[in-house]
Amino acid sequence: MAQIEQSDKGKKKKGAQKKMAIHVDFTPMVDMNMLLITFFMLCTTMIKSQTLQITLPTNEKVEQEEMSQAKESEAITLIVDTQRNEKGDVKKDDEGKPINIVYYYEGKPQVVKDEATGNVTSSNLQKETFLGNEGDVQRGIRKILHDRNKQVLAKIDDLKVKWRAKEFHSNKDKNDSIFQARAKEIRNDSTLTRPVVVIKATPEASWASLIGALDEMQINQISRYQIDNINHDDSLMIQAYNRMNP
Amino acid sequence: MGKVKIKRKSTLIDMTAMSDVTVLLLTFFMLTSTFLQKEPVTVITPSSVSEIKVPTANVAQILVSPEGKVFISVAGDADAENKDSWGSEAIRAEILVKAVQEYNRLHPNNKVELTDADVATFSKINMFGVPFKALPTFLRMSQTEQDKVISDMSRADIGIPINDNKDLTTPNEFQIWMRAIYSSGNDNLQASMKKGEGIAVKADQNTPYEIVHHVLDNLQTLKMNRFSLMTALKTEQD
Repeated sequence: MAQIEQSDKGKKKKGAQKKMAIHVDFTPMVDMNMLLITFFMLCTTMIKSQTLQITLPTNEKVEQEEMSQAKESEAITLIVDTQRNEKGDVKKDDEGKPINIVYYYEGKPQVVKDEATGNVTSSNLQKETFLGNEGDVQRGIRKILHDRNKQVLAKIDDLKVKWRAKEFHSNKDKNDSIFQARAKEIRNDSTLTRPVVVIKATPEASWASLIGALDEMQINQISRYQIDNINHDDSLMIQAYNRMNP
Repeated sequence: MGKVKIKRKSTLIDMTAMSDVTVLLLTFFMLTSTFLQKEPVTVITPSSVSEIKVPTANVAQILVSPEGKVFISVAGDADAENKDSWGSEAIRAEILVKAVQEYNRLHPNNKVELTDADVATFSKINMFGVPFKALPTFLRMSQTEQDKVISDMSRADIGIPINDNKDLTTPNEFQIWMRAIYSSGNDNLQASMKKGEGIAVKADQNTPYEIVHHVLDNLQTLKMNRFSLMTALKTEQD
């Protein structure tokens, strides 16, 4: 292939120069190309980062009051926390995953304080963990949120079946966009019982745990959630919980 | 009995086909690659199920190092038509001038003077993060020195100073920068920042909330309530 063949057309003229086959060695070329490929392969970013879009409430007071008007039965507060060692590094479990905890309470915090010491003796705070699905079964905090948003999720599951069957439109993109629009309608449908989630994080909570909590909102199709600052009562409740359930 | 003649074969292997393949691969990688942007610290972002991609144009990325140092990188219009007016380099220069102006207005006794050469150097830097006071010295260093200085997290003069200031009449340096970026004059950037796509917060997964919280709080004070958080794609096991 890399040689130029010269045909003599059968005849051999006398005294004609003997023609050499020209052979180009491509090995160095391949070597160089391989090096360049390696360079590009190592330098490229094939996977683009994903983003989670969030909206924080404005600082204005009006919004705060509106939020507190949310029905008590619908409200659920998550407080994410991460276990850290003395050096401040995140503690890992046996599988090497960071230990993220999520405390939660439904409705308003119900705190019973000891009159004399001011210590919290009991509260409606409970503890859960972030766990993925096992097969089709939700676990951990996902199960709790899933159960609270059942109505929306059931409707969206129906919608997903139709979406997979491409019932909305034969064109893939149009099918997707119709599905997204319908799903959004369901998420914001005020006739269904939907939870209002307030997400708080302790100062030690890792960024990953907060993202994890926001992620659960996406997974469970929860449209009403907000990030709030942790207050003194919350930290007292956590302390009391850990004291009572070591 | 005739001797069995062993035909001597040449050991030359024809590399042309191989070369063809490598050139094709090389072309593919050259065309598809976007280079990793230089960042002062490498952070591992937490994973999420969200599938929205980070825009490459018209975005202000805020990087929070595990130590709490804040860096900002700005990408302008990718549109070739606008490249001269609002490409990344043009927009960075514009932002720097605006931000320094604002800083000098607020600190009349402590002005920062920059030359045109400084502005040109600044526009070539992808991610910046030094206090205004240290800007002139930083911009006059050689590139290798700059890289060394900016990735040294133990230094006090690295990272954009940020505090819990809630009063926008006396903004902190982070707020000055963000406002300069918002009002840089590029309408596309402003629109994407309004929508929340134009501001991306990037932090390491192990960074305590305490630290990232500062940035979120400041964005809230700036009324930039909509923004996005950079995450990686979640794997099946998570």
